[in-house]
Amino acid sequence: MTRAFRLKRRWRRWRRAARSTLTIRMTLFYGALFVAVTTLTLFGTRNAIEIYAENVIRREMNVGSALFDRISAMQLRQLGQGADVLASDFGFREAVGTGDAPTIESALHSLEGRFQLDHALFVRVDGTVMGDIKDLSRPEQDQLYDALDAGRTQGVVRWGSDSHIAAAAPVRAPILTGWVVFARNMGPADLNALAKLSSIDLHPQLMPLARVARADKADSGMREVMRDGELMLVQTRPVETLIKTAPEMLVLEYSLTRAMAGYAPILWALFGFGAVGGVLAVAGVFAASRRLTQPIVALEAAARKVSAGEHAQVKVETRDEIGRLAQSFNRMVDAVEAREAQIAHMAFHDALTGLPNRAMLREQVALGLTRAEGGNLMLFCIDIDNFKSINESLGHPVGDALLCEVGTRLAATCPSGFVARLAGDEFAVKLRAGGQTADQAGRAIVAALAEPFDIDGHRIIVSASVGIALSPQDGADATSLLKNAELALHRAKSEGKGSHRFFESAMDAEAQARRALETDLHDALRNGELALHFQPLFGLSQNRVTAFEALLRWQHPTRGMVSPVHFIPLAEETGLIIPIGEWALHEACRIAATWPDHIRVAVNISPIQFRSPNLAAVVLQALARSGIAANRLELEITESLFIDNVEATLSSLHSLRALGVRVALDDFGTGYSSLSYLRSFPFDKLKIDRSFIVDLLEHKGATAIIRAITTLADALGIETTAEGVEHSEQLDILRAEGCGQIQGYLFSRPIPAQDVEALLDKLDGARKAA
Amino acid sequence: MNESRLLLVALSLIASPAIAGDLDLRIVDSAGRPVSDAVVTVRPAGGIPAGPIRFPWGTTMVQQNIAFAPHVLIVPVGATVKFPNKDKVRHHVYSFSKPAKFEIKLFGQDESRSYTFTSAGAVALGCNIHDAMSGFIKVVDTPFATKSNAAGQARISGLATGTAQVTVWHPLLKGKDNELLINLPIPGSGTVSKSVPLALRASR
Repeated sequence: MTRAFRLKRRWRRWRRAARSTLTIRMTLFYGALFVAVTTLTLFGTRNAIEIYAENVIRREMNVGSALFDRISAMQLRQLGQGADVLASDFGFREAVGTGDAPTIESALHSLEGRFQLDHALFVRVDGTVMGDIKDLSRPEQDQLYDALDAGRTQGVVRWGSDSHIAAAAPVRAPILTGWVVFARNMGPADLNALAKLSSIDLHPQLMPLARVARADKADSGMREVMRDGELMLVQTRPVETLIKTAPEMLVLEYSLTRAMAGYAPILWALFGFGAVGGVLAVAGVFAASRRLTQPIVALEAAARKVSAGEHAQVKVETRDEIGRLAQSFNRMVDAVEAREAQIAHMAFHDALTGLPNRAMLREQVALGLTRAEGGNLMLFCIDIDNFKSINESLGHPVGDALLCEVGTRLAATCPSGFVARLAGDEFAVKLRAGGQTADQAGRAIVAALAEPFDIDGHRIIVSASVGIALSPQDGADATSLLKNAELALHRAKSEGKGSHRFFESAMDAEAQARRALETDLHDALRNGELALHFQPLFGLSQNRVTAFEALLRWQHPTRGMVSPVHFIPLAEETGLIIPIGEWALHEACRIAATWPDHIRVAVNISPIQFRSPNLAAVVLQALARSGIAANRLELEITESLFIDNVEATLSSLHSLRALGVRVALDDFGTGYSSLSYLRSFPFDKLKIDRSFIVDLLEHKGATAIIRAITTLADALGIETTAEGVEHSEQLDILRAEGCGQIQGYLFSRPIPAQDVEALLDKLDGARKAA
Repeated sequence: MNESRLLLVALSLIASPAIAGDLDLRIVDSAGRPVSDAVVTVRPAGGIPAGPIRFPWGTTMVQQNIAFAPHVLIVPVGATVKFPNKDKVRHHVYSFSKPAKFEIKLFGQDESRSYTFTSAGAVALGCNIHDAMSGFIKVVDTPFATKSNAAGQARISGLATGTAQVTVWHPLLKGKDNELLINLPIPGSGTVSKSVPLALRASR
């Protein structure tokens, strides 16, 4: 690598640095500005001085020139007067008149001395010159004569190498006989004496025109000439000469260079001040911009730290804009960090109870699983039974307060555990294996939550179900452990609530099967895999089929016939029951429309479906689309509807009744056996649960129950139907006890729609035969 | 030879006195302006007739109003010129001219001095008291002499036929003795007219 290349690279790097730094940029800019201004000032000053000096010299030259004129005029007058005196002297005139040469010569000589003349001459009209003529050549004498003869009387004249100032006076005796000429030297010495009278040495010179530079002849004013490296200001102008044909110039000159040299100290001082000022300016701007940019640099560094995720604050040193910016920056950083903390808390905590959420629990579990001594931990999933009804009956604020209280109680029950709220009324506790056993802990939790709660003056008693999963056997990672604990919780809930269950591996398989079924059920309705089968209800008094109960059947393409016992709860859990139920209503009505008008159709309504707000609209639609009379449709509901929110159930029942449809109470006598609702709503029919019918042949008491039901129904004007009749003995007892209708295998299993007509024919035929 | 010819001319003049011509000159300067007080003298062919010369304008040079009057006076050789002073001041008339160097010192009013001019030539008169006074007396040896008038005209009649030597004199005329010499043929009768331009020195 050459040295030049290296230098170039260094220069480029320096330039890049200069461009990226505000300080250097400002310094360079203002430094350059100051230097430029100083340079301009310097040049301006120099120019002004030059012009001033030139003007001074010009003025001096004009003064010198005028001085020359004045002095020469004075001398000429003196000389002229002297010549006049001589010319008019009678004696001299007589001498001239009589041609007395010696007298003339002596007179001239004596006057030379008296007037301090260099030359005193007498020129006769015939051209002869007398007096001190040794310096005059013949041509000069002739020239002199010619000039006098032409009438010239005064002016500068050059004889030999010397210039003279001369004046002449005519001699008349009495006619013109000649001229007296007085002349004085006007050599360099005399001119220098003249020069001393002006304030600067203008070096005046008289020069024949021929010797003056041509340029100076053309312009009689002033001009600048370069000579021997010096700039000269030269003024040339013609002077009055005695001999017109020999013009003489007065040359005045002065060196501008020398004049300027006098001002050099001023310029040097200015330059010095400029240089010092420039250095000071650069240093000052550097310092000032440094002070300005330092906080900006600090801010930039802090911003970089913040963006990298670190905490950073800037020191506030000033109260100006930058200081305020620093303050704002600090406030911004604090606010961002606070919000970040809040968001982080929200991400891992439940807003209502302040307990950790599912995400944090999962992290905790994962942490517990990886710990060397750990690996053995117990996970409890807790759910409040029937929390929904508490929320609905007492209101959400009470429900929320209850949830908080549950959290508190869980924490108190498991002081070493990690309590989290997973969702809604579902909580979880993580315990390290060691202290109490999982069974003890589960029991303790159930017991703790079974204690009555006092919320806002409400005494609330709840039960809780607990699912337990243990690591490592029930799951090697947090996700599966949590999932399995929840599966166990489900089992606990579905198996009676208010208890705890451990996870079993079968649960997992079951859950998977359920999930598969759930997926298939989604497609079943769309693919037309669902169908309605109908089981006849036989009216004993009418002695004929009075109605058919529509029952859902699922013909799965691979599983075959799927039992409603399996898929109805699943549909209810997933909410699929709503579209399925809607479809069933429409389908049942559509098929019933093909039957004789005296035969009704009964359709089961799931509690989920019943609570959906548009049930009445769906019923109305099914009636309208099929065209069957409203009283031919019988909706079968279960007692469980009356467990929660009796008022809402009753109002819904009344609005259905208003449509004109019949309402039957299914599975009567099993669940919530309160008779009060029979008083509240006039059901059209009670369907006596099959368990009572089965008992008929085994317990004597069963007959009494049937009798009680039928008696009660009769008293209230409600029809009765017995379900699950399989034996003729049962039929006999039921007939005897006054049951209105019989349903069961004794007459027919549920049959596809297309078989209904054949069945009716067969039963009618049998009846006629009987 | 010369003498014999002069004699012949004289004889012919005597023999035929009736044969004569006139000369009419017009004196101008170089610019053509008429010049006055130029003295014209003629030496006709055959010479100057003998006998005394007399001019009708007399021989008096008066000093009056600090000036010579007339400015130019033509007198024959041997004439005595009177210089009467008619001014109240005194005058000191002098001449440094070759034909007559003289001085008439300080004579008062109504005093008259005289001087006899014995040789021909121009005499410049000055006054030592009054430098500006200037006058001329032209002493001639021929009867054919006159001075130009204000129109520059100078007439001389009765000149013998033949070539005449005409001399024009003027105080400012450039040239030797302020003279211009020309030869002119004079006819038997009638007038010879000629314009004579003079180169004059500027008067100062």
